[in-house]
This record gives sequence, structure tokens and C-alpha cells, in this order.
Amino acid sequence: MTAIETIQAPSDGRVAAGKRGRSLAPYALSGPALVFVSLLLMLPLLMMLRLSFNKYDAAQMYIEAFTFENYVRFFQDEFYRQVLWTTLWISAVTTVFCLVGGLAVAYFMARTTSPFLKRYLIIVIVLPLFMGNVARTAGWIILLNNKGPLNFLLERFNLTDGPIQMLYTSGAVVAGLTSVLLPFMIVTLNSVMNNIDVSLEEASLNLGASPLTTFRRVVLPLLMPGIFAGSILCFILSMNAYATPVLVGGPQFNMMAPTIYKQMTAIMNWPFAAALAFMLISLTVLLTVVSAVLFEGAAKRTGVIR
Amino acid sequence: MITAGKPHPSRWIYLGFVWMTLLLVFVPLATTVWVAFFSNKLVSFPPEGYTVSWFAQALTLEAFRNGFLLSFQVAVGASLVAVCLGVPAALAIARHRFPGRELINTILMSPLMIPAIVAGTAIYIFYIEVQIRSDVQFAATVYGLMLAHTLIAIPWVLRLLVASLSGIDPAIEEASLSLGASRITTFVRVTLPLIRPGITAGVLFGFIASFGDLEKSLLLVGPGRITLPIAMVNYLEYRADPTIMAVATIQVLIIAIALIISDRFVRLGRTF
Repeated sequence: MTAIETIQAPSDGRVAAGKRGRSLAPYALSGPALVFVSLLLMLPLLMMLRLSFNKYDAAQMYIEAFTFENYVRFFQDEFYRQVLWTTLWISAVTTVFCLVGGLAVAYFMARTTSPFLKRYLIIVIVLPLFMGNVARTAGWIILLNNKGPLNFLLERFNLTDGPIQMLYTSGAVVAGLTSVLLPFMIVTLNSVMNNIDVSLEEASLNLGASPLTTFRRVVLPLLMPGIFAGSILCFILSMNAYATPVLVGGPQFNMMAPTIYKQMTAIMNWPFAAALAFMLISLTVLLTVVSAVLFEGAAKRTGVIR
Repeated sequence: MITAGKPHPSRWIYLGFVWMTLLLVFVPLATTVWVAFFSNKLVSFPPEGYTVSWFAQALTLEAFRNGFLLSFQVAVGASLVAVCLGVPAALAIARHRFPGRELINTILMSPLMIPAIVAGTAIYIFYIEVQIRSDVQFAATVYGLMLAHTLIAIPWVLRLLVASLSGIDPAIEEASLSLGASRITTFVRVTLPLIRPGITAGVLFGFIASFGDLEKSLLLVGPGRITLPIAMVNYLEYRADPTIMAVATIQVLIIAIALIISDRFVRLGRTF
């Protein structure tokens, strides 16, 4: 019965719509979850947006108002401009490192002939995604410490006179973030890489292109959607990173997420914290949308996607 | 890589780079586990000797014991609630075509996209506003945390269950319906047994995502009610000693066990 209905279903692409298409069942089924997420995430985000237009008042937290002064302050204050700038460039550098390393590893994983590596490398890469970044950031604190293994090795081989300050530098934050976010990039690239036919590369190699040329001219264009998705993901996650800048960057190193937390707890200026949080989320969305448009334009010009 | 007859010299550079990158991912975690066994209290290299006593020490510290219990409790509660909400929603998304389906799917997946620190701040503001208006406290309570963590778990449950449902031929359910079973009987007797691995994986992934969460919970915890990741960060801000490395090692072990169990239900390599 249903099978026939399916075949005769309207040709607007809604396969298997059948008679259930107009019933209320799907709304009833997804209703509870939808209400939950709307009430606990969408509504709070709107309330936060509203709060960001209020005036700060030390005595009673905030005064109802409709002012842009929190946003104006953000752009006028040298300190917060600096925080935003640091967040942006740290995220950009981290994303580039993740991309370069991720490309190499994802390509290796997809083209290795060892069944052992094929089966287990992906699991080993997926595991750290769920480990939480605190345990790994803890490792970085030890590694970069003045008495850590890196400084120990440097002194042992007489490369330096004294310990080099590595912890609490922006380089440390980039290294920590790259290490934490690389698995996201690798997993994203890997899923696209698996769909690229090996014979395309073989054809290119057979026709005399070097492996590097083959990678650049054949694999890379096909990988573009994965490169785009992975870079966006890494950029968003590093823009919003908390644990790494706090633990490896130290108290003097300011990025957006820890600054929002400080405004909420230590300074208790909620309207300004709400404005900061809203700036962060809208900047993230804006950059994602802009790069999506740019990417699509570039991809169409070069013929990667039609 | 394809071995096209003659080995290229740049291949060694490439392989070296691949393994360097993999080391960058794994050396920090390995360091954490290694230092947990150092016998000297102040970390220096090379270690003076090895001991397992820091693990016992870690278990005696109240902040970590309470943190572990709270995180565990919250993660179990959140993943179970998320499954109750997520199973019907996944059925709607995977088995029905209806106006607004894409939008509903996007909203339900949004906790994964919206930056955790922003979401945490918004939820905290919401809890306080509710408290001011109704005198019901959510901030700094177990229930408040559990609700926020349910949000973390929902996208995982949904993703795994939709994947699980789309692997099952709807004809099986339709056979049951056309033979006279009601929708509820069909769901309980046919669909549910088929998607049980997906549900188990959903609970486990929800648990893992909640158990490791740091940013969403930062503002929602209160004095005496601090989750394990936050207790770890608080400690690490002042000291990086073998004790905290032992705590981190235990946390990593718990998550690894949960992942290995989930791998039996859904192949991790294929889920991503």
C-alpha cells in the first residue's frame, strides 16, 4: 500500500511523503525537544542580547535602558580592541597550522596501504576529540615549563645557556590550540578524502606529474569543501577557546572567552559581558558567512563545484 | 600515498611531517600520563623515580572526589533526558518529510554550533532572571547543570539516532503497520529493538560530551558544586604537579572506556 503511494508521490522531491506528509505527528514527536532547546538556548540568547543594551549599575547590577554604550565602549577601549585583535590573529594562525598539518595526516590516512593503520589511526585521532582539552593542556604546561622536558633537552645539548620562557607566550597558546584542534581538522578532511577516487591520482602520476603537482592540481581542488569546513570549525573553536589561553597563556594573556568570564564573575558588569558575548557570537557567524560566500565564488570560478 | 614505481626523495620529508603532526597531538596527553607516575613532587626532568602514590593522593582530595561525583551524576542525568527527548525527535526527522523539518533539525543541532562560552553566559543570565522573578533557583544547582548539559547531549543523540534510523528499511515498519499493529506497538516491538545500538551510543556520547564539558558549565557551578573539568582547571591555574596529572589520567581513562564501549555499538571510524 505505502509502496505504491511512494511511487505515486508528488514529484516535488518529497519521497515517501505519503499521507503522513500533512499529519501533525512529526511536530508532536519533535515538539518536546524543540521546546526544550528553544527555552534553554534560544530564549536565553535573546535575553542576553536584550541585557547587552542595558546600563551597568554597580549597586543593582543593571538599569533597564536601550543604549549602545556597551558596544561603543568595546570599540573605543584600547584594551578590548587588543583582546579582540589577539583572539583574531591567534585563531587565524592556529587555523593555518591545523590546515597544513591536517592535510598531511588526512592524506596519509586515506592513502596508506597498511590495513592496521587504516583501521586504527582514525580511532586514535577521534579519541582525543572527546578527551576534553584540560588533560592535554595540562601536558602542555609540563612540556613548556622552564624545568620541562623541552628546556631540559635544549640545555642538555648546550643549545641555550638558561631556560627559555615558553609558557605564558602567544606561541605557547598557538601550539596548545593547534594540538587540541588538529583532530577536528583531520576528521573533517578525512571524510572528504575518503570519497576521492585514487585512480584520478594514478592517472595524473602516469601522465608524468610529480606527486607534489598531483596533490596540488588534482587532490587539493577536490578537497576544497573539506578544507573549507575544517578551517571554519577550527577558527570558530579557537575564537571561543577558554582552557588553553587561561592555562598556557597565563593571567596576562587575554582572549575573548576568558574576558567574558572575568566580566561576569570578577567585575560583575553583566551588560558589558553580554555585549562581549554577543560580539563574539556575531563575529563568528559573520566571518563564517563571509568566508562561505567567498569560498563559493572562488570555487565556482575555478570550477571545483558547479 | 601511491607508490608509483620509483620512490621520491620528498616522500621522506612528507612522512616525517605526518608523524611530527601526529606527535603534536599525542605528546601532550602522553606527558600528562607520564608525569602522573613521577616520584618527585616538583616536576623536573629527568624524574627521580616512579610511583603510583599520586593516584591514591588524588582520590583523597575532596575537590576532585566531589567534582567527579557531580560530573558523573550530571552526565548520567543529562544523557538520559536527552535520549527521552531525542528519540521521538529523531523519528520525526528521519521518518517524516514535513514543512519546517530543516529548521527544526538546525535548531536541535544548534547547541553544537553556538560557542559554549556564549551559551553558558546566556543560560546563566536566564537562570538568574528566572530566579529574580519566581524565586526558583537554577544557577549553582545540580538540576540547573543537568538541564544545561542535556543541551550538550541532544545533538549527539539526534545525530547518532538519525544515522541509525536511516540505515533501517522503513518497509519493515510498514509491514508491521499493514499487518495490523498499532503505531505504538510497531515502535516498541519493531523500531526500538532495531535502533537499540543507536540509543546506547547516543547515551554514551551524550555522557562523554557532558562529562568533559568545561565552558558551558563555568558560570553554572557554585561553591561546593564544581564539576571535575572545572576543578581541574582551578587547580592547574596554580599548580601543575603529579597529583593533577593523576586526576587527568583517571578522567582520560573513564572517557576512553566509554568510547571503547561505544565503538562496539557504532564504528567510531565510520561515524566521523
